[in-house]
Amino acid sequence: MRSKKTLFSIGVFLLLSAMSLIGSEAATPSPAKEIPISAEMKEKFPIKAHHAKLSLKCTDCHENQGDNPENFKLIGDEGCLSCHKSKVYLAERLKFMDTLHVNPHNSIHDGPKLYCDECHFEHQKSDNMCLSCHSNDVKLWMRETP
Amino acid sequence: MMKKILLFIKSKLFLFGAAGVFIGLLFSLAMYEGLHRTSDDKFCIVCHEMAPMVAAYHNDVHGGAGKTGIKVTCVTCHLPHDNVLAYIATKARNGVVEGAIHFFGNPDAIDWHANRANKEHFVEDEGCIGCHTNYKTNTNISAKGLKMHAHYESLKNTDKKIGCASCHAEVGHHGLKSMLNYYKPEYPYYNGKLDKQKEEVEKKLSETLK
Ligand code: HEC
Ligand code: HEC
Ligand code: HEC
Ligand code: HEC
Ligand code: HEC
Ligand code: HEC
Ligand code: HEC
Ligand code: HEC
Repeated sequence: MRSKKTLFSIGVFLLLSAMSLIGSEAATPSPAKEIPISAEMKEKFPIKAHHAKLSLKCTDCHENQGDNPENFKLIGDEGCLSCHKSKVYLAERLKFMDTLHVNPHNSIHDGPKLYCDECHFEHQKSDNMCLSCHSNDVKLWMRETP
Repeated sequence: MMKKILLFIKSKLFLFGAAGVFIGLLFSLAMYEGLHRTSDDKFCIVCHEMAPMVAAYHNDVHGGAGKTGIKVTCVTCHLPHDNVLAYIATKARNGVVEGAIHFFGNPDAIDWHANRANKEHFVEDEGCIGCHTNYKTNTNISAKGLKMHAHYESLKNTDKKIGCASCHAEVGHHGLKSMLNYYKPEYPYYNGKLDKQKEEVEKKLSETLK
């Protein structure tokens, strides 16, 4: 008698757990429909290691740019800042460099106003606009632009 | 008699050595366990190498610097390692030199800058989720944020799994990179030029923890 009761309650418990599992599955929003990206495009537009590590997809950056990856455009500062918050926040992350006035995100000349693509590129090697005038010092002040 | 003992030890040198290493390892792990189980900032700073982390914590909204004044205990985000074996396994997997070596070695030599690359392994997402319960559905979070949280979820049970801290850099420790630089500059150019900043931090720390 007793073991039947136990069996029954275990049964109910399992059923409820299964239901709660199914419930939670349904609650998670399903990601937007994927645009197929050919291997060729992936090779032509490689992604930086710091973003690849997070398995970012093309459309995480190229948002609302249509279904044809050939037609993807630049994403501008706004694209970067949708994840990286704000220029002031980015300047703050390198605050120790302000002590010597060499913070690339808070330039001694322009403040936290420069465009990201004056230094950072996604699909090619990055550059650093400070180099154009301070060709020797920049590599002492900061690492190569990631 | 002496000679005999010496001979015995010599013949079993390897065994003695191995046992010594084993006991040492267990001892230091037990110590590590015990130490990391207790929880707050006053305790964690007992070891001076924790100073930059604690200072940056005090500047964060999770460390009492926000409007709400909430102070999340260290171990809510850094769960104590549940058991010694799992701990050793994690360490080995991370490719980080074993904890034991740090205790017998020189803590000042730890490269905290490089160690940040392992943050997925020492930050406990369950801790974050315990408070940010509706991070997947909260419409106060930006659309991009929610999209990223769905992305996080979709990777959860795969080999590409990422952590909350993979994206939320310096959360829990506002300005961590700068703070670590005040204590030990990443680039030689800064050597000796950030000491004033470090002094200010130390002064504030000793006042806060008084
Ligand atoms: C879909 C979200 C997302 C977008 C869009 C994005 N990033 Fe990132 N990026 C991240 C995350 C998450 C990290 C890792 C956490 C961090 O360091 O902030 C990161 C890291 C970085 C890093 C740090 C590399 C390092 O070595 O520490 C750089 C540089 C960077 N991003 C530049 C950019 C630039 C420039 C853009 C715009 C072209 C951009 N990101 C757009 C999410 C994004
Ligand atoms: C003047 C050049 C320059 C500009 C403009 C610039 N960056 Fe950077 N950025 C760098 C350099 C150089 C670093 C590496 C600094 C270091 O760690 O030495 C860096 C680092 C970063 C990091 C990693 C920060 C960290 O904590 O390690 C992120 C994220 C980033 N940049 C994003 C951006 C975004 C987004 C923009 C546009 C709003 C931008 N950057 C504009 C040069 C620049
Ligand atoms: C982290 C954000 C990010 C991701 C992820 C990303 N891109 Fe881009 N993409 C950019 C930025 C920024 C540019 C501007 C050029 C540059 O920085 O290299 C760009 C430019 C482009 C361009 C236009 C080039 C031009 O000169 O007009 C194409 C096409 C493109 N990306 C395709 C892709 C494809 C395909 C993928 C996925 C395999 C992808 N992108 C993933 C940020 C991203
Ligand atoms: C168009 C050329 C130009 C660019 C680009 C430029 N600078 Fe300068 N910078 C100058 C000039 C000119 C001076 C004044 C020269 C002097 O007093 O030695 C200067 C002075 C400085 C100084 C103070 C003097 C020193 O050498 O210690 C710092 C620091 C500095 N720049 C950092 C930067 C950083 C960081 C960037 C990139 C964000 C940058 N500069 C981009 C032209 C430039
Ligand atoms: C006995 C001195 C000591 C005390 C007290 C201490 N730590 Fe540590 N902690 C260390 C050392 C040494 C390391 C580096 C060891 C390593 O890399 O394994 C470390 C590493 C860490 C790490 C990085 C872990 C990793 O795997 O890289 C975290 C997180 C941490 N401690 C949190 C804490 C917290 C939270 C407290 C308070 C509850 C605390 N520590 C108290 C000495 C200490
Ligand atoms: C809100 C969650 C949170 C709290 C509370 C918190 N931490 Fe952390 N901690 C983090 C995150 C996230 C990182 C990784 C940050 C990064 O590298 O961008 C980290 C990193 C660390 C590291 C490793 C730093 C390195 O360079 O490798 C140590 C040590 C540490 N924390 C100790 C502490 C101590 C001690 C306390 C209490 C005073 C504490 N943490 C409180 C979230 C937290
Ligand atoms: C004990 C509860 C608690 C825990 C644990 C906790 N948080 Fe928070 N978090 C809060 C509260 C409360 C705030 C708002 C604080 C304020 O504004 O004063 C907050 C704010 C934030 C913010 C927005 C502010 C900012 O710094 O950008 C982010 C992002 C965040 N938490 C992420 C995390 C992550 C990631 C973790 C785990 C590593 C975590 N939290 C752990 C309670 C918590
Ligand atoms: C793939 C990157 C990514 C991961 C992983 C991630 N987040 Fe976020 N999160 C974001 C972005 C992007 C935003 C919106 C921009 C912002 O405000 O920081 C955001 C916003 C938030 C906010 C609101 C912050 C504010 O100020 O409005 C909280 C809280 C938060 N995340 C908590 C978490 C927690 C908890 C986890 C782990 C369970 C997590 N996030 C994992 C990218 C991520």
